[in-house]
Amino acid sequence: MTENKIRVGVVGLGKMGLLHASLLNVFPEVELVALCEKSALTSRLFKKVFSGSEVHVVDDIAKFHGLDLDAIYVTTPISSHSSIIKQIYANHLARHVFTEKTLALSYNQSRELCDIVEKEGGVNMVGYMKRFSMVFGKARDILQTRELGELLGFKAYAYSSDFLGATKKSKSSASRGGALSDLGCHIIDLALWIFGRFKVRDVLSVARNGAGSETSVSFTAVNSNGLSGQFDISQSMADYRMPEFGLLAECAAGRIDVNDDRLCLTLRDGTLRKWYRHDLADCVDFSIGDPEYHRENSEFVHSVLNDRQCELSFENAAVVDYVIGEVRKRSGVQ
Amino acid sequence: MNADGKGMLLVGDNPFHGISHLSQEKARNRGMERSSAASADIVAAAMRSGADGFMFSVSDVTLPILKSLRERREVDQIKLYAIVPYAYEYVRIATQTGTPGLAKKIVKQIALSGDIGAVLGGIGAVFRMNRESLLKTYLAYEISRIKSSIWSKAELSSVLLHEVITDMSLALNFDWLFKSYISYLSKKEIIPGFNTRNFPFLVRKFKEWGLNMDELLVATQFNKAGFQMNPSREACEETLSNLSRPIVLAISVLAAGYFRPPEAAEYIATQEKLRGIVIGASSVEQAQETFGIFSSALSCRK
Repeated sequence: MTENKIRVGVVGLGKMGLLHASLLNVFPEVELVALCEKSALTSRLFKKVFSGSEVHVVDDIAKFHGLDLDAIYVTTPISSHSSIIKQIYANHLARHVFTEKTLALSYNQSRELCDIVEKEGGVNMVGYMKRFSMVFGKARDILQTRELGELLGFKAYAYSSDFLGATKKSKSSASRGGALSDLGCHIIDLALWIFGRFKVRDVLSVARNGAGSETSVSFTAVNSNGLSGQFDISQSMADYRMPEFGLLAECAAGRIDVNDDRLCLTLRDGTLRKWYRHDLADCVDFSIGDPEYHRENSEFVHSVLNDRQCELSFENAAVVDYVIGEVRKRSGVQ
Repeated sequence: MNADGKGMLLVGDNPFHGISHLSQEKARNRGMERSSAASADIVAAAMRSGADGFMFSVSDVTLPILKSLRERREVDQIKLYAIVPYAYEYVRIATQTGTPGLAKKIVKQIALSGDIGAVLGGIGAVFRMNRESLLKTYLAYEISRIKSSIWSKAELSSVLLHEVITDMSLALNFDWLFKSYISYLSKKEIIPGFNTRNFPFLVRKFKEWGLNMDELLVATQFNKAGFQMNPSREACEETLSNLSRPIVLAISVLAAGYFRPPEAAEYIATQEKLRGIVIGASSVEQAQETFGIFSSALSCRK
């Protein structure tokens, strides 16, 4: 760390890598030092794009060695997370690691990474940015105050049109981890955060594409108190121009219906309250995409600066991979 | 300002793409399917009710709307404000095929565009991997797409850089990109424009880089709720009031339907440094009502 600035590198220059690199570069406490992209063409292009700046662009993460990085962001496809994170710790390329969701391709891989970070220390975080949404946060606050009484059950959905009409030969959904890892992980994480841990009970339906990757999944879950929930996840829904995530919580004294844009609270007497993002102080210092990304990066940066662990640690994020693994196991796919 | 000294009033295209920043639910409910002719009806109604022009993302949804307006000759003179790139489609392609897939798709589109200048420029730029030439090739391609859809009296007034690209480039200190962009469009007598969600940051950076903002256009959020006004409504208003010339077009003035037009118009009337506003409409009736209200509000500004 120089002059109380965190020296950061980013691996993977897809849309998430560029988003994080951009947001990080605006934090006064961060110095964006290096970017890594293994595709020769993309790497060559970005070397030109960044020429004249002090940012190093390399094509191999091994070249991060000697750059004295404090933290590395891993924004490559999920299938490579495990090997890259292991390489970071094995070669002491940085002490702190942020990775895009999901932590790894399987729960076994995630456990391995959790064991490594327990030994190595440092701050670790997985990018479940929906937790930084003001509307989902407000829903969690309301449920935690118990003003709606006992929680009776919930429904959760994650829908997008990302692969609607994609050809059967397309392997892109599979390379992104399928609907569960690419899209469903967010709503699984939100449900774990808001309702606590649960077990997968039944897989109701699974649809797969030609490459064998799931495009839609529906399953039920139950927690140790008998609270049950249902999940519907699909990447091939019509008219979901942007991915949308939502939760419906039934409580003794009313219900909460929340999605990315708004929160509705309906009491049993019919009283309705509604909050939009507009009502919940949703502005940030600098925004690209949704303000959640800025808050997520702020959480990581300030955790590193204050030497405290993030709530969204590898250990907590591994639970999402466990749930995904259970759904796949019960649907006969590994 | 427009010719009669009042603020500019532009029709926005969000409803034509099925976008609502208030809620995606709302966008789905009002329906995504609308023919280009029906969208052109809305633009034409807005023009008859006081709009000066049309701001649109260059896409397979909006270019047919321009063609429809051209074929019917219903709207004669119209000022066009194009936003590039149409980020949604590019992000969707990147999601499905990855960044290299997206790059191949863009190259293929340019190659098939038939714009010889863009194709030759592109080959050279790719070969030399020259960032400024790549940017110019891309802009030439987008401008050629627009021009092939418009008619002689329609004027391509401005090309605005999409907010995601603008804001990423600001954050990454790509001053070269802004300088090249401004220089290329200015030579073509098209006003260089920038769409941003970080207006005060943009102004600060442009000053730092010594860029003269007087001949530019900035489209950014201005609404009573402070929705998407980063870092705050107060900071955006203060930055606006300190500008030497009116270069800002307000977008999201209804905060995506959170406010009714009269309430939103009341707020806009207090922002005297705004050059104009951009507003979408989902129907002919809504266009007539909304543009009537805002046309009066802009005329009444102090």
